[in-house]
Amino acid sequence: MSGFLELAISGLMSGLVIGLAALALTLVFGVARFANAATGDFMTTGAYAALLGVSASGSLIVGGAVGMMVGALVGIASYVLVFRTLEGRSSVSALLASIGIGFVIRAVLGVVYGHGQQVFQLPLVRPWRFGDLRIQPNDLKIGITALLALLAVFLVLHATPIGRRMRAVADDPMLARVSGIAPRQVMLALWALGGAVAALAGVLLGIKTVVSPEMGWDMLIPVFAAAILGGIGHPVGAVLAGVILGVLQELATPYVGFTYKLALAFVILLVVLLVRPRGLFGRVEGVR
Amino acid sequence: MDAYLTAIAIITAIYVLLALGLNLQYGLTGLINFGHVGFFCIGAYTTAILSEHGVPLVVTFPLAAAFAMAAAWPLGLVSIRLREDYFAIVSLGFSEVVRLVATSERWLTNGVQGIAGIPKLFAGWLTGAAQSYAVLGLLVVFNILAILAMLRIVRSPFGRMIEAIRDNEEAVKALGKDPAVFKIQVLVLGAALAGLAGAVYAHYIGYISPEQFLPLITFQIWMAIIMGGVGRISGALVGSAILMLFLEGSRFLRDVMPFISEVSMASVRLGAVGLALILFTMYRPQGLMGDFTRK
Repeated sequence: MSGFLELAISGLMSGLVIGLAALALTLVFGVARFANAATGDFMTTGAYAALLGVSASGSLIVGGAVGMMVGALVGIASYVLVFRTLEGRSSVSALLASIGIGFVIRAVLGVVYGHGQQVFQLPLVRPWRFGDLRIQPNDLKIGITALLALLAVFLVLHATPIGRRMRAVADDPMLARVSGIAPRQVMLALWALGGAVAALAGVLLGIKTVVSPEMGWDMLIPVFAAAILGGIGHPVGAVLAGVILGVLQELATPYVGFTYKLALAFVILLVVLLVRPRGLFGRVEGVR
Repeated sequence: MDAYLTAIAIITAIYVLLALGLNLQYGLTGLINFGHVGFFCIGAYTTAILSEHGVPLVVTFPLAAAFAMAAAWPLGLVSIRLREDYFAIVSLGFSEVVRLVATSERWLTNGVQGIAGIPKLFAGWLTGAAQSYAVLGLLVVFNILAILAMLRIVRSPFGRMIEAIRDNEEAVKALGKDPAVFKIQVLVLGAALAGLAGAVYAHYIGYISPEQFLPLITFQIWMAIIMGGVGRISGALVGSAILMLFLEGSRFLRDVMPFISEVSMASVRLGAVGLALILFTMYRPQGLMGDFTRK
């Protein structure tokens, strides 16, 4: 029984990481209206930048901040250099270009850092025991960081002027425009936020597992599945769906084996798209 | 030198077969298939496993195409009605799951070690250069048949229908036709070409492993048809030639600049494919051979 609970808790933590990345994907989708396939590679960028930050300062918190900053910059750069030109074209071109951006990011990281795996050097800590239950303090810290980040994103979205403008553009771009909202500014803020959130997800994933150039790309299917399950463009839904997906994946591991985790995410993605394409919390329109 | 050129021609012809399939799906019908390599993989493994058990190649080749079609059909049934970009991600996930199965089911596919010693084509009758020429000849025949079929499709009512779906799906629906039916047929046909390409590839290289079926292959083919010109048969040919030139050229680059390691060269290649995808979608979406009058 305690083994089951430990798996569930581990799933909760990895689910929060998936949810954070799905949040980045869904934010961008809600406003820019395409699935940014480079989200995974934004995560990887964040993780590598955080490694640099940690080795320069010795502090994980500074490292995480560096990672988020670089993630935001990469987000802004990909908007300014690529997606701004593709605005108004079909979502196919943006999707293809985002795949291309992901490839370029992975290529740069592969050339600079090689294809080996790197880890965050963390002090070994004795797990906390509650009866039979063992909890890794690091897991708990990852979970708390993810929750704090989610809180911050919701504050930005709901308590700041730029967040209100973002939601307005997501709801109805034309109406937002005639109401005097400058789209450029909103898009820049959106890509910075999306990049930073994805990068933080990457940092947390890197702390939990290992850092390699492919780590983010390999998360693309689970992240996309979570974004769809939560209802695309719906921030709370993305996070909850990420947690559900993470827990399901961990709990299923003893039955289907470690390698088929990804396949499980794929099956969930298919089932959701078929049965309830607007996801758990999707809006009325139900695009699929 | 001669053997080298033949080898390059053979690989190019395999790419052309893949590009023709994707061109039918994306270029003519507007179907965004990001999982092309999955069907290629299924074709390669089908023929490799069957011929390992002594089934003659005359039987395994059609079966390779048939298995790829058999995988495409249910995928189409469940996901073809999705929005186009959702279908793109689902098909990408499909190809990753195929690779996962090839990696995990060791009893069937020998896992990451892959299958070695796949019999060469025409092994009983020919050797050396003659054998390579025969493989190339077979590929040329396959390609000519595929191109003739494409030309026929384009001029048929079916062809007009799929092009109408690409240009305006709503209008097709308004005329009382169900686009999904045609899209599934197109997906299955393209998968057959990819499966066949996989079969030739497996018997030509003689060794397959899951590592050879990364999504990168899918996007290399995308790069080829986008560079060559979407919706054009000449585009598939020119694009594949450019792709081969680029892949081989990067090998020569390494001869000139030996300080770049083979691993970083793989990254450089990946980055170049990415850059090509970005730049062509941004500045020349119609490709090199494409229709310049249309946006």
